[in-house]
Amino acid sequence: MAGCTLDGKVAVITGAASGIGRATASLFADEGAVVVIVDRNEEAGAAAAREIVQQGGRSIFEPADVTKADDCRRVVDRALREFQRIDVLFNNAGVIRRASVLELTEDDWDRVIDVNVKSIFLLSRLVIPIMAKAGGGSIVNMASGWGLAGGPRAAVYCASKGAVVLLTKAMAIDHGHQNIRVNCLCPGDTDTNMLREEAHQLNESEDGFLSESARRPLGRVGSPEEIARAALYLASDAASFVTGTALVVDGGGLAGSA
Amino acid sequence: MRGLKGKRVLITGGASGIGAATAARFLEEGAVVCVLDRNAQGCAQIRQQLPALAGTVTADVSDLKQVEAAFAEAIRLMGGVDVLVNNAGISIRHNFLEITPEEWDKVMAVNLTGVFYMAQTAAKHMMARGSGVILQTASTNGIVGQPYYADYNATKAGVIELTKTMALELAPKVRVCAVAPGYVLTPMQRAEYSDEMLEAVNRKVPLHRHAQPEEIAALFAFLASDDAAYMTGHVYTIDGAETAGGLASR
Repeated sequence: MAGCTLDGKVAVITGAASGIGRATASLFADEGAVVVIVDRNEEAGAAAAREIVQQGGRSIFEPADVTKADDCRRVVDRALREFQRIDVLFNNAGVIRRASVLELTEDDWDRVIDVNVKSIFLLSRLVIPIMAKAGGGSIVNMASGWGLAGGPRAAVYCASKGAVVLLTKAMAIDHGHQNIRVNCLCPGDTDTNMLREEAHQLNESEDGFLSESARRPLGRVGSPEEIARAALYLASDAASFVTGTALVVDGGGLAGSA
Repeated sequence: MRGLKGKRVLITGGASGIGAATAARFLEEGAVVCVLDRNAQGCAQIRQQLPALAGTVTADVSDLKQVEAAFAEAIRLMGGVDVLVNNAGISIRHNFLEITPEEWDKVMAVNLTGVFYMAQTAAKHMMARGSGVILQTASTNGIVGQPYYADYNATKAGVIELTKTMALELAPKVRVCAVAPGYVLTPMQRAEYSDEMLEAVNRKVPLHRHAQPEEIAALFAFLASDDAAYMTGHVYTIDGAETAGGLASR
């Protein structure tokens, strides 16, 4: 039976030094993958790879700013040099600016679009030919519930995540014939540093913000591990006919109004 | 998948196609499984194919009395129901202008009313016990239009919306998700599509093939498992990117 395993697979994960990316790196390593951790935070990225190896997994760290084509090239070259293949690409790196269009600077706008969307384009165009040559692969892009619905003071973030959803579908159409599956994840609020960062951006207390975020049918925010489990499903052969989808993991937040 | 060992699973329309493959998958995961189907011969056959089944129940889901009796029998066979796979469904291929009232009523009765009867019966049991998962088979046809299946498509859109409202009302004790398969190579599909039609589908789906029933079964297993503990109130499409684009306009 096709289970959620990644035995012998090589997985590249961006933004993997913390949060959902970090949880996914550990989980993928537990399930047998070699994990290439990509992050611009060199200290945290190196520590992450070390911790995974200490726990018996296989992982390396390659520092990179995934909004730069040259950095993306360096990441892919390193992965190929060390492992000769890339089976899974988890385009997880992301940033958030909680602001309306009136509050955003041009730099804010460009930064969020570049990290959240352009990085997916820059990395995927390098990895797809590698996957195609190997007979297939799985690309998982990080979207959000706010890629499917709007939110307050979240203009550029919603724009970026909406773009991720449709980019995902377009890529799935283009590369299905190469047996490359492309899906995106739409988490609700997840307990990470980025969520606490949102509270700071909004000048709200972390506790108040977290308890607001928990107001959804399942009554809590998600854990990074739960989102990692969904990423694992999409990356694995258990999802062999799943492509072009936006997989929602949000405690019922998008189900409607209660 | 985590957390499925020992879970008690009732699957409607479980004697063939997606339902049968899902029964087999849950058995492989160590679950206790009961199949419900209206076809007594189908039930006998699936008992032969899957001897590890806790049992089968013959019932027509469009009849509330039969649904209640069947659910009571499933509880007797398994001790309780932790997961309902609300999968039983029929389809009739006909032009919209030629759908008879009897055909419309029949498709509604099984695909929407039957889903409601099973879901409500199971939900009452699960809410009383404090937990459960209900998974309902919709279809990509409930999300995008498709000629010759107007009644079927309407019921599948109904299943998706029913799923969302059930999720809101039954949270947090019971999770409710819908599965929307695209083209799956089942007996129902082979009965309705000629070889040329099957090939035409394969050409238009980005993955260039139909799904195997086992692939849909894997999604049901994932959604029932602990790995999906934060997932409720949504529809999960499994279609080889068939509906990723706007096919009619391409």
